[in-house]
Amino acid sequence: MEWIFYTLAFLIATALSGSAVYALYWSSKHGQLRDFERGARSIFDDEEPVGRMTDHFPAKRPKGP
Amino acid sequence: MASASSLAASLSPTTPPDVMSRAELSEIDASAKWPVIVFLVSGLVWLLIGTAFALISSIKLHTPEFLGGYEWLTFGRARTAHLNTVIYGWSVNAAFAVAFWLMARLSRTRLRHPGLLLIAGCFWNLGVTIGVIGILAGDSTSIEWLEIPPYATPLLFVAYAFVGIWAVITFRFRKTEHIYVSQWYLLAALFWFPWLYSIAQIMLVFQPARGTVQALVNWWFAHNVLGLWFTPIGLAAAYYFIPKVLGKPIHSYYLSVLGFWSLAIFYNWAGVHHLIGGPVPAWVLSAGIAASLMMVIPVVVTAINHHLTMVGSFGVLRYSPTLRFVVFGAVNYTIVSLIGSAMAIRSVNEITHFTHFTVAHAHQGMYGFFTMVMFGAVYYILPRILLKEWPSAALIRTHFWAAAIGITLYWIDLSIGGWIQGVEMNNASIPFLDVVRHTLPWLWVRSLSGILLTVGHLAFAANVAWMLAAPRAAGATTPTLFQTPPAVPVR
Repeated sequence: MEWIFYTLAFLIATALSGSAVYALYWSSKHGQLRDFERGARSIFDDEEPVGRMTDHFPAKRPKGP
Repeated sequence: MASASSLAASLSPTTPPDVMSRAELSEIDASAKWPVIVFLVSGLVWLLIGTAFALISSIKLHTPEFLGGYEWLTFGRARTAHLNTVIYGWSVNAAFAVAFWLMARLSRTRLRHPGLLLIAGCFWNLGVTIGVIGILAGDSTSIEWLEIPPYATPLLFVAYAFVGIWAVITFRFRKTEHIYVSQWYLLAALFWFPWLYSIAQIMLVFQPARGTVQALVNWWFAHNVLGLWFTPIGLAAAYYFIPKVLGKPIHSYYLSVLGFWSLAIFYNWAGVHHLIGGPVPAWVLSAGIAASLMMVIPVVVTAINHHLTMVGSFGVLRYSPTLRFVVFGAVNYTIVSLIGSAMAIRSVNEITHFTHFTVAHAHQGMYGFFTMVMFGAVYYILPRILLKEWPSAALIRTHFWAAAIGITLYWIDLSIGGWIQGVEMNNASIPFLDVVRHTLPWLWVRSLSGILLTVGHLAFAANVAWMLAAPRAAGATTPTLFQTPPAVPVR
């Protein structure tokens, strides 16, 4: 009985490792590992642009120069 | 689900781009509202319950007669109930809430059918409730980190399956071309957790493996839950919130990608360092030690990256609650991980193994790093989904300082106490009972720091409850509630 689970565990582990390798391959194929500058900026947009702080204590806004 | 039904798409094509993206953000935040609230509030309730069990078990260590007349509150049960409530109750619920919101925001797409997630949330919390009651009743499996009795675990698994699938669906409908590093962490964590949990359940509870294989599976699971589930989610949040709050891209995106892939390669091997000195093949231990030391690469890479992003902007810590908590967590991540790598070295492990040093390490990781980052994330997310401001800045400050001082006191105190305990235990001329007596002062300080943490949690809970109950201010209609502050010099 035990060997069924060991086999299962081994197969799942192999599949997961395989998917990780595939994910790395996929990301290099699809330009995810190119142009890091753009990657870092991808979380900003017109509404929340680079250079604007988006959080502060309630009722206490920083006084800019 | 056709995306044409979205609010942003219904606007006139001549709408200015910033109004368009505000409408889009607002819609994304709104879609995540109920799942986030349900997971977060249930997590918060578990945090308070877990804190109570923590105090009970901590006090029992130096004053054993405390509540000694109740069998369901004996140390073995109260401590186990503490672990399972704060891990599966608080931490996993908080991780779900933050992971959903982050995944929806980063994929720039609405969360689809959020109602089904609420059902998953009910199942998860029902599973944890049954599990904790089972533990208190004496049904613990006695396998560390998997103590929840087998009659409750299928519920957890079904709930998890829903949650995991939903995050993947959200990712599948992404509108962004680029996959941000936080998404890599989140996706990986969401795939790794069911793997760890199901294999460990099968090989330890339902069809237990024999002999030392059990111990190996146990520590492979227990350590990977930290490294391959909580750590990636905490780092995903840190990689999003630090640049986002500052309004400044991450210092080196290259390093963040390197950090992710090196964690993915090395962490899985590291758990067996818990068995150093145990009856397992020496090569397994050596591989585990090597992997634990290799973890220095992703840790240092992440530390450098976060630090260089912060350089020049440390003043913002005065203004942003989120940044304070997240940066505190990120700094603790670096310290705790380096200590962890050092603890895997055989000569260090001989001293720290079976002492309070390990307890200090576990708390610094799960609280100093993970929980603090989750607190920071909640301070950012809740105002945006509720369109309300936090009612009390004083409560936020109380929460931060009580938690930060409490956990710092906790880990430094128990690290010193644990080290002394380890050195004394290795000295055969000191009677064991004396070694135990010498730990008492450190255990008292531990209870004191526990009281500080409790104060912080109560302040947090009061603020969240107040915020949920408070009426929405007139005019608060934008997704980012906080109005644009005057420009802060960000260098």
